[in-house]
Amino acid sequence: MPPVIDVQRLVKRYGEITALGGVSFQVEPGEIFGILGPNGAGKTTLVEILEGLTRPTEGAATVLGIPVVEHPDAVKERIGVQLQASSYHQYLTLYEILELFGSFYQRRADPMELLRRVHLEDRAGARIKHLSGGMRQRFSIMAALVNEPEVVFFDEPTAGLDPDARRDLWEIVRAVRDSGATVVLTTHYMEEAEVLCDRVAFLNAGSLVALDTPPRLVRSLHAPYHVTLTTSGPIDARRIEQIDGVADVTQRAVADGTVTELRSGDTPRVAAALTALASETGVALLDLAIQPATLEDVFLSLTGRGLSGS
Amino acid sequence: MKTLLSASLKMLIRDHQAIFWAFMFPMLFLGVFRLFSFDSYGTTNLIVAGETADVRSTALVDALGDVEFLDVTVRDDLPTVADVEAALADEDGLDAALFLTESAGPTLQAELIMAINDPIGSSVTVAAIRAVVDGVSAALTDAPRAIEVFTRSVDADEASFFEFLGPGIIGMGLMSFATISLAGSLSRYREEGVLRRIRATPLAPSRFFVAVVVAHLVIAAGQVLLLALVAEALGANVLRGGIGFLLICIVGTVIFLNLGVIIAGRVQGRGAVEGAANAITLPMMFLSGTFFPTSGMPAFIQPVVQALPLTHMLNALRGVTIRGETFVEQWPSLLILAAWVVGTLIVARFAFSFRDA
Repeated sequence: MPPVIDVQRLVKRYGEITALGGVSFQVEPGEIFGILGPNGAGKTTLVEILEGLTRPTEGAATVLGIPVVEHPDAVKERIGVQLQASSYHQYLTLYEILELFGSFYQRRADPMELLRRVHLEDRAGARIKHLSGGMRQRFSIMAALVNEPEVVFFDEPTAGLDPDARRDLWEIVRAVRDSGATVVLTTHYMEEAEVLCDRVAFLNAGSLVALDTPPRLVRSLHAPYHVTLTTSGPIDARRIEQIDGVADVTQRAVADGTVTELRSGDTPRVAAALTALASETGVALLDLAIQPATLEDVFLSLTGRGLSGS
Repeated sequence: MKTLLSASLKMLIRDHQAIFWAFMFPMLFLGVFRLFSFDSYGTTNLIVAGETADVRSTALVDALGDVEFLDVTVRDDLPTVADVEAALADEDGLDAALFLTESAGPTLQAELIMAINDPIGSSVTVAAIRAVVDGVSAALTDAPRAIEVFTRSVDADEASFFEFLGPGIIGMGLMSFATISLAGSLSRYREEGVLRRIRATPLAPSRFFVAVVVAHLVIAAGQVLLLALVAEALGANVLRGGIGFLLICIVGTVIFLNLGVIIAGRVQGRGAVEGAANAITLPMMFLSGTFFPTSGMPAFIQPVVQALPLTHMLNALRGVTIRGETFVEQWPSLLILAAWVVGTLIVARFAFSFRDA
C-alpha cells in the first residue's frame, strides 16, 4: 500500500531562522504516528505544512497521494485537523459549531453522533466556555472528525491535562485509528508517544534524528537499562565502570548506605558482576533495581538534551 | 453558505457588546436629547406687520422689544396676512409674526401666528407675548380691551432640533456598530484561533469573511429600521427620506465596515483594537455634526470636518429628510462618500490578511 503521507526534504525558513532543515519520512496507512521533540523543534511547522496551512521553503509532501503545496484544498477536504490551543466561536453551542464546520465539507458526520463518541452528547447545547479543560480537548479532537477524515492531525492533544483526562484522550485517539483513519500526533510527552504511537519520529532543532517503533528505539540504545544499586557502604566506582557494558556511573550517599546508578546493556551478566563486586568489597547488597530505558533516554542519547528542552 | 451565514448572525446577536453599540447606544442619545427641548432656548424672531403706524402699535413694539428673548422686527413690506404667512414659510429664522389690524371699534386686533414646532417653546413664547400685550393694553386705556390677541400656528419652515438630530443619531449608530463591532469580531476570531481553524478547512477564507460582513449588514439594516421608527415616533420625521435614506445608510455602513477591517488588520490585540475603533469613531461623532450643525465649528477645523465620511453621510441624510431633497440631489456628498468607499476598500484589502492568523 502506498504511504498515506510522503515527506521529501522539507525545508522551512523564517528569515534567518531555519524551522525545518530538510526532513523526509513516510507515514503508513492505519498507524498512529508520533512526532516527538522539545518545544521549538519544528513539530508544529512540519504538521502545518502537511495540513496546507504553511508553505514550505523547499521540498515536497503528499498527503493521500495529493501534493499539499499545489492542492491544499483537496487535501483539506480529506484530513481532520485539531490545532494547538485552537478555540472555537464562543457564542456558538457545541452542536452549532459542528454543524457549521460540517458545512465546509462535502462529506460530513452527524453532529450528535460525533458528540456521543466523546461522551459530550448531553452538552450539545453548551458553549465552549462552560466546558472543563478535558471536555474542551475532547471536543476539539472530535471537531477534527466532522468530515470523517482519512488522516487526522492532532497537535499536542493532551497538553495541560491531568493523567486521568490524558488516558481518556488516548482511548479516543485509539478509537479514531480503529475506525480506519491514520493518525499523526505531535507531543512532547514521551510517555504518551510510548503508550500510544506505533512509530515515533524524533525531531530536534528542525532535523529528524530518529524514526522507529518505540521498543526498537529503546533497544537501539547502547545501554538501554537503568540499574540502581543500594549497598550498605561505598563501592569503588572505577571498578564498577570496568564491568563490560556499564556506562554513566553515579554514586551518592544516603542515610542507610550508598546508592549507585548506572546504565547497562547485558543486564544479567552486569547484575552478577555487581553482586560479586559487593561481596568482594565487603558491603551488603540492600537493593538492586533494573528498569528499561525510556524514549526520554533515547532522545537524550541522540541529542544530548531532554525532551523538555533542558 | 446558509449555515455559515446563520452562524455568523447568531454569533453577532449573542455578542452583547455588539448589540449594545448597535441599538442601546444610539437609543440612549435619542432618549436623552428628547428630554431636552433645545428649540425653546435662544431668541425667538418675531416680526410685526400690518397697522404698525398706530400709537398702540408703536407702544406694543417698544414693549415687546424689552422682552429679553424676543428679537422684534417691524416689517412694513408685508401688507397682508397672506404676505406674513409666506414670509414665515419662506424666510429662514422667523419664528412668529404679529399682524395688527384696526377694527371698527376702538380695539386693535392682533393676530399672533406661531411658527415654532416645539410645543413647549411655542407656549412659552405665546404666554410671554400675551402678557406684554395685556400690559400695554392696560397702560394705554383704562379699558382692558385696547388690543385683542388671537393666536394660531402654522408649520415651521425650520427643522426642529429633533428632526436635525434623528438622522445624526442613525448615522452615528451605524458608524459605531459597523466599525467597533466588526473590528472587535475579527480581532477576536484571530485571537481565539478561529481564523486559523477555518483556514484548516476547505472553506475559502473570503467566504467566511463575506459571511461576517453580511451578518453585520443585516444587523445594520435592523438598526436603521428600528432607530428610524423610534426617531419617527419621537418626532424626528426621518421616514420621509424613503429609499434614498436607506441607500445613503448602506453606502455609509460599507465605509465604516471597511474601517473596521482596517483597524482589525493593523492593530494587534483585542483591547487595542477596540480602543482604536473608539478612538476613531468618537471624535468623528462630534466632528461630523451628529448633534449640532458643523457650521458652528471653528474655521481651522473645517478642513477636517469636511473630509470626514460621517459629515457627508449625515449631510445627505438630512438632505433627503429635513431639506426635502431627492437622493440624486445629494450628489456632492455621495461623490465624496463613493471616494471613501473605494479608498477604504483598497486599504482594507491589504490591511487584513488571513495569513497572519
